[in-house]
Amino acid sequence: MTDELLVVRAQLGERAALAELVDRWRVPVWTYVRRMLDAERADDVAQEVWLAVVRGLPRLREPDRFAPWLFTIARRSVTDRLRGRYAREHEALAADRAIVEDPVEALVDRAELVGLLAELPVPEREILVLFYLEDLSIEDCARICQVPVGTVKSRLNRARRLSREHLERKGYRA
Amino acid sequence: MSARETIEGLESALSKGRRMRAVTALLTGSVGTAFVGALWLGEPGPLPGRTRLAFAVFTVCCVAWAGYGGWLVTRRVPLFAVDRVIAAWIGLAAAVATTAVLVAAAVQRGGGVGVALAVGGVFVAVALALAVRAHARRAALLRRVRELTGEDGG
Repeated sequence: MTDELLVVRAQLGERAALAELVDRWRVPVWTYVRRMLDAERADDVAQEVWLAVVRGLPRLREPDRFAPWLFTIARRSVTDRLRGRYAREHEALAADRAIVEDPVEALVDRAELVGLLAELPVPEREILVLFYLEDLSIEDCARICQVPVGTVKSRLNRARRLSREHLERKGYRA
Repeated sequence: MSARETIEGLESALSKGRRMRAVTALLTGSVGTAFVGALWLGEPGPLPGRTRLAFAVFTVCCVAWAGYGGWLVTRRVPLFAVDRVIAAWIGLAAAVATTAVLVAAAVQRGGGVGVALAVGGVFVAVALALAVRAHARRAALLRRVRELTGEDGG
């Protein structure tokens, strides 16, 4: 069953279709949120995203554009958490705690891609996550991040360059 | 967090009680506004200051409830196509009943029938428009489901 069909059925009021939609997109949403925020807040923010999705679903006019709409909502929730001094401090504290208190999580964070993403600035990181991990088109990334297509391309290029530099640096040190 | 946990976390937002409360707030506020407004406008002579103040306070309270209900229905509580159709028919029934009561009250008081009919008419027209819109939206979604399942099958 296509996403569009599931969305339309959910909009009609079919609870089973809504549950299937949540089940289908739960992991991609969580992955995006987790790559943008720390593990502590990922579950809460992902749940917040789903609440906003359920509230907005009856008004969604383009069911065939569900994925970009979903990630626009996810991005809004993530941006809200990243905004402000408190958020920055909280993020730094959480990152410290993750390393000190949870060595397994710290190891996971050092895995190639995750470690790489954490090194990138937020605008480049989110484009990389959306484009490579969520497999969205450049046009969809532009719509979600509310920037022109050219900006997405330049951010992708910069993200690739920063990633290459980061890997080279790591390789050089090793 | 598992799929089951995610969906369970959404249960309160999707509960029937919550939807009913939102629609009830909207309807109570709207019916109250129409009722108090029609009574006020239908008064034959000039009213004392305190009575006007009382009418104004009642009207503001009812408008606030209607606004709160409207905000719940449009922003906080998801009303899917079927819910909207049901809510629209409940609204239409409430509008017709309110109009009947207003006209009856006006006839009993011996004046203000025109105002009662005008206020009730607006109320019924809005409820009817919402019902038509809700049915059209549901029909469009059902049509799209048929198109998509037709495509899926062939």
